[in-house]
Amino acid sequence: MREFKRILHVEDDPSIQAVAKVALEAVGGFEVLSCSSGTEALEKVQAFDPDFILLDVMMPGMDGPQTLAELGELIDIRQIPVAFMTAKVQPAEVEHYRSLGARDVITKPFDPMQLATQVRDIWNLAHA
Amino acid sequence: MVEPSNDLQRHLQLLSAQFAERLAQELPELAGKAQLLRDANDQESQRQHLLSLRDQLHKLAGAAGTFGFVSLGQRTQALEQQAIRWLDALQQEQQGLHDFIADLQQLSQQQFQIELAQESTPATPKTAKSSSATHCIYILEDEPTIGENMRLTLSNFGYQAEHFTRIADLDAALQRQLPDALVIDVNLPGEAQTGLNYAAALQQRLDEPLPLLVITTQDDFTTQLEAVRAGAMGFFSKPVDIPQLENRLERCFAQQYGEPYRVLIVDDDRELASRYSLVLRSANMLVEALNDPADIFSHMRTFNPEVVLLDVNMPGCTGPELAQIIRLNDDWLRVPIIYLSAETDISRQMSALLKAGDDFVTKPISDNALVAAVFARAQRARLLSNALSRDSLTGLLKHADIKEQVAIELERALRGGSQASVVMLDIDHFKKVNDSYGHPAGDNVIRALANLLRQRLRRVDSLGRYGGEEFLAVLPECPPEQAQRIIDEIRQRFADLRFIVEGTEFAVTLSAGISCTDADISASELLERADRALYAAKESGRDRVCQAD
Repeated sequence: MREFKRILHVEDDPSIQAVAKVALEAVGGFEVLSCSSGTEALEKVQAFDPDFILLDVMMPGMDGPQTLAELGELIDIRQIPVAFMTAKVQPAEVEHYRSLGARDVITKPFDPMQLATQVRDIWNLAHA
Repeated sequence: MVEPSNDLQRHLQLLSAQFAERLAQELPELAGKAQLLRDANDQESQRQHLLSLRDQLHKLAGAAGTFGFVSLGQRTQALEQQAIRWLDALQQEQQGLHDFIADLQQLSQQQFQIELAQESTPATPKTAKSSSATHCIYILEDEPTIGENMRLTLSNFGYQAEHFTRIADLDAALQRQLPDALVIDVNLPGEAQTGLNYAAALQQRLDEPLPLLVITTQDDFTTQLEAVRAGAMGFFSKPVDIPQLENRLERCFAQQYGEPYRVLIVDDDRELASRYSLVLRSANMLVEALNDPADIFSHMRTFNPEVVLLDVNMPGCTGPELAQIIRLNDDWLRVPIIYLSAETDISRQMSALLKAGDDFVTKPISDNALVAAVFARAQRARLLSNALSRDSLTGLLKHADIKEQVAIELERALRGGSQASVVMLDIDHFKKVNDSYGHPAGDNVIRALANLLRQRLRRVDSLGRYGGEEFLAVLPECPPEQAQRIIDEIRQRFADLRFIVEGTEFAVTLSAGISCTDADISASELLERADRALYAAKESGRDRVCQAD
């Protein structure tokens, strides 16, 4: 199985960006690259070569689903699972996001102590 | 599970503090945008401001909870929903918009604090607390004095209650903010419809139905049936015994906001274990999964699961064998064990169940079926567990357990150099209540005091029923002067409660004694001193709170 090490996190809110980085690095032992916009993510994704991508849904400019579509042109998202992050999801929304190619949805607010476990669970499933 | 290191905790605290600073800027910003919305004089610019408000509220709603600002997160989420509704409804209505704007501006004047999340290492909850946040109740009652009386009493219990005499006023309030529960009178002579018809239509409109309590002068079968169809969770005849109504509210909230169920999954198939974990977590349960059956002991002890899911076929140790190992330990007899298996042969299933275990779930299972199976078992297990360790009338700790808390808190206080207070409370002339109004009325009084204490004390405080009408509370990190203030406030609120039995109204008072930890005192001495202070309170006229000498 491919080793799970690097996570690309795309989120325009600086507070969330910081807390997710701490949660994933200190609790999960991952290496995290934070991007503040979809555009920045597209620029950096190939050089960083992530194992997993965490995408905020609502961002100014290019939103999460748009970013996902463009990422799909650059990398193989069947190999690199993408999860959306958003507030309060209905089951129908989760289905919608899955149909776009996301593996799963992590709801906000999230518990910083649990985030790494959630991400790892999604990754395990994708690589099962 | 990874233990949070001190460094990490400090780091997270720092981030929360930074977020708090950001709030100090952002909340006034929201108020500014609300002002722009108020000043806007055409629908298009209103729409633009609402869009911008919606986006900012959405961000806050997503972030606040992560940093521990739980109630702010809930408020902003509710406001975001309202902004969305206004975006849809601008053309039809302009009237309530001002209330929405006022709510937004009020947000910046309010102080929000970091609320302690649940302890990261789950332990058996000490006292059953419904939720740390104040519950909001809307009352629809056309008779002003009755409604006002109800509002006052529920406020005394610590709820945020609002009273409306007309459907139109309640509707306007619902536009602003949804309450946590509704109390509705069936008979509304001034209105075009009955309270029940209104409630039924309202529940239809909502995404999720609200807990509904119905009050009425007709308690016939037809009315009760209509009430149940409108989603009623309580039904009360007039004159309403409000403490009893409060007791029902408390039970509704305990079901709704109880702590998440803890589920342990044992499956050597990592993929499946991860899948089940995700499904159960999305149903708001706490899940731990382990792949090696040999790790069972440490997980049972530290995680303290309420349900165990076992794969039947595991290498080295089968599910039924593992179930029997779990059953060897008396502490874990209460935990239901559910087998997960592709085994569809009924006789093989039965033989597994005969050895140990409580239920069989066959793979493949749909997400909803898995959640339902685990939820039903967990709910039942928690009810049973509470019934065994808690007093059946009040839901508080029993005599021996609360006494143990005194010793635990004393030790903790000595170690940490802080002061804990021990409070002994007793209902005045309780025998008279029983004699004049009957034992059910007496039970009601006891339950009311238990609920009042639960509402007014902090989450960290322990609370138990010490004897018949005697209660014991342990308040950690609370010097005696502070305890005095808290308990005296509870004493006043209790005296203000009105109980009703067959149309007769009566009130009851309480007395209390407080003692406090210090360097060379034993737990039994602490209790004795509190008891002596209680005796002094009784001797000097009752309805008062005394300190130990």
